Amino acid sequence: MMPRFWLLLTLGASAASADAVVTPAAAPFRPSTAPRPPRTVEFNLTAAPARLSIVPGTTTDVFAYNGIVPGPTIEVREGDSVVVHFTNKLDVETTVHWHGLHLPFTSDGSPYHPVAPGETYDYVFKPRPGSAGTYWYHPHPHHATANQVVRGLYGAVIVRAADDPLPAALPEKVLILSDNRLRPDGSFDLPERASHQGRVDFENGREGDLLLVNGQVMPTIRIRSGEIQRWRIINASAARVYRLAIPGHTFTHVGTDGGLFERPVEVEEIMIAGAERVEVLVRGTGAPGDRAAMQTLGYDRYIPQTRPADWDRPRNVLALEYTREAPMKPVRIPETLRHVPALDPAQATATRVMSLSQGMINGKLHDMSRVDVHARLGATEIWEVENLVGMDHPFHLHGFQFQVLERNGVPEPFRAWKDMVNVPKHETAKFIVRYENHTGKWMFHCHILDHEDHGMMGVLEVTE
Amino acid sequence: MSLAYRSAVRMGSCVAVAAAAACAQQTTASSGGRMETAVAGGRVDVPVAGRVTLEQVRRGRLLVITHACAGCHGGGDNPANPNWLSGARTPQDEFVIGPFKTRPRNITPDNVTGIGRFSMRQIFNALRYGLRPGETPDVEITSMVPGQGNFPSQPKYLAPPMPWPEWRHMSDQELWDIAAYLKHGVKPVAHRVADSEGPPDFWAGAYADTALVGPYPARPFPTANEEFRP
Repeated sequence: MMPRFWLLLTLGASAASADAVVTPAAAPFRPSTAPRPPRTVEFNLTAAPARLSIVPGTTTDVFAYNGIVPGPTIEVREGDSVVVHFTNKLDVETTVHWHGLHLPFTSDGSPYHPVAPGETYDYVFKPRPGSAGTYWYHPHPHHATANQVVRGLYGAVIVRAADDPLPAALPEKVLILSDNRLRPDGSFDLPERASHQGRVDFENGREGDLLLVNGQVMPTIRIRSGEIQRWRIINASAARVYRLAIPGHTFTHVGTDGGLFERPVEVEEIMIAGAERVEVLVRGTGAPGDRAAMQTLGYDRYIPQTRPADWDRPRNVLALEYTREAPMKPVRIPETLRHVPALDPAQATATRVMSLSQGMINGKLHDMSRVDVHARLGATEIWEVENLVGMDHPFHLHGFQFQVLERNGVPEPFRAWKDMVNVPKHETAKFIVRYENHTGKWMFHCHILDHEDHGMMGVLEVTE
Repeated sequence: MSLAYRSAVRMGSCVAVAAAAACAQQTTASSGGRMETAVAGGRVDVPVAGRVTLEQVRRGRLLVITHACAGCHGGGDNPANPNWLSGARTPQDEFVIGPFKTRPRNITPDNVTGIGRFSMRQIFNALRYGLRPGETPDVEITSMVPGQGNFPSQPKYLAPPMPWPEWRHMSDQELWDIAAYLKHGVKPVAHRVADSEGPPDFWAGAYADTALVGPYPARPFPTANEEFRP
């Protein structure tokens, strides 16, 4: 019998009332990395209204997990038995979806298991060996995901491996990217659906000019010359795609949705579509006292009719500030990170074609009572996701991570576990997936939250 | 709406005059409030994938030729033309309407670049209601009121000058025949046409202006302009 521990998260005010003013981003950049054996870990998580200051001088009535935006970073190890005791103190129905994690259907937090106001729900899961990576949690209620995420309900989940190949000496930061649009009084600009802006938001997915990292505008990360930092970046925006670059620097891309690659890849910029995650190493190649900014560069994911006029303007995301300390000797990064076992296309017993159009999958709107794909537990299948229209759609499958085989006919250059694949306008993506361990009804959908709420979603039912 | 657009629509309508005149049809509203287009003398032959008849494909082909679909979509009047229905190929094939640019798309049944992934119902709804097949669910529409009878609450319309006057008053049978021909009578051609830069859908809703386009079904005969003159 494993010892039972209580890890009650006390970051920020755990029982925030609507009147409490809490500085956003009380969540630190740096989670603990101390190694320990697997065990049972329990968390208390409460969604409730709170009042925070996002833009100095104003307050915003938000929805918050444990009183903070983003919610607390939930950090567990492969093999841990995780129990999250969730309480819904909102006045609306919600769920907590554990994005990317392989878990039982009843813990997926999909619209099939709503949590009514005042109710509690226990989410129980056990991250399996090999699943170390960066995940996140957010609401997934029927037709209301965008609204609740935009109001502040999102947080990070870090699953750690017992044998992480990257040096423990690397300072580590979790960066949750989101964007928002506030009125001058600090309240959320959530227009009526029938208004012009409401329709643009519906078409593009809601974007805002306020770019936030861990709930803060343009925060500063300090780095020492010569230092290498490990950043886990999560795109929690409703729709915005980030193309991140730090002028004068490169990123060492080491991981994606489901953890590390087999080998690091050196890149000048990195794209993160909705709900995707990346792990990168940032090398402090500047001199002591230097300053730099991480920017997001323009990316044209839009149809011409609703493309913002300034879509290609680079925007600052965060400041990188070099300390005045003398340069340090860089830590050596291993050339091989881990083995990612390949799913074998020869084992695939079916090919599923998913045609994405604007707001629909295979010509259909989502119906909770309909099953779109029936599959057997243990089966390996190939999904071909075609985008028939002139806007990118980031595609998400619940429950089972997959491996991208091809994008637009081009073989994927390296193997990785993914739960998101962005399908650019008029392109196709092909992935392979195995339905292991868990039966149930699993959603697949566009992760532009407004599209998902509109019904750009289907249901995969896995049965014995 | 710009004058340029109005005139473009009128020009477009000329193409359809023959169709409207030739179409001896009657429209009725059934007891359930459902719209129905009754064709004198018979049942509507709704095509089903896998059981489409050669006869139906031939009927659709004749309609496509006589209604000059390929005048814009490629191939002129000649089904043997190598560009038959596969969409705009040169800038000369594009329409500039005020600030908008319409590029006739590939309407061969290629799965990714054409209409292969759209159901015959979605093509029917495009021709009858002007609803973009990729953005309108594959369901039977029984009302013209947004949000009712499966008419989308946020309708997504084709780029002008499609499709209002040209097709909407054709009989159900004729529209099904065209859909059957496009899906089951033409070889797929992989040819990607860039998207039209038409008005956003919510502006395009204005093109449903009844004064310009007229309602569907058409107002009963005779209107003030008409009389029966045997």
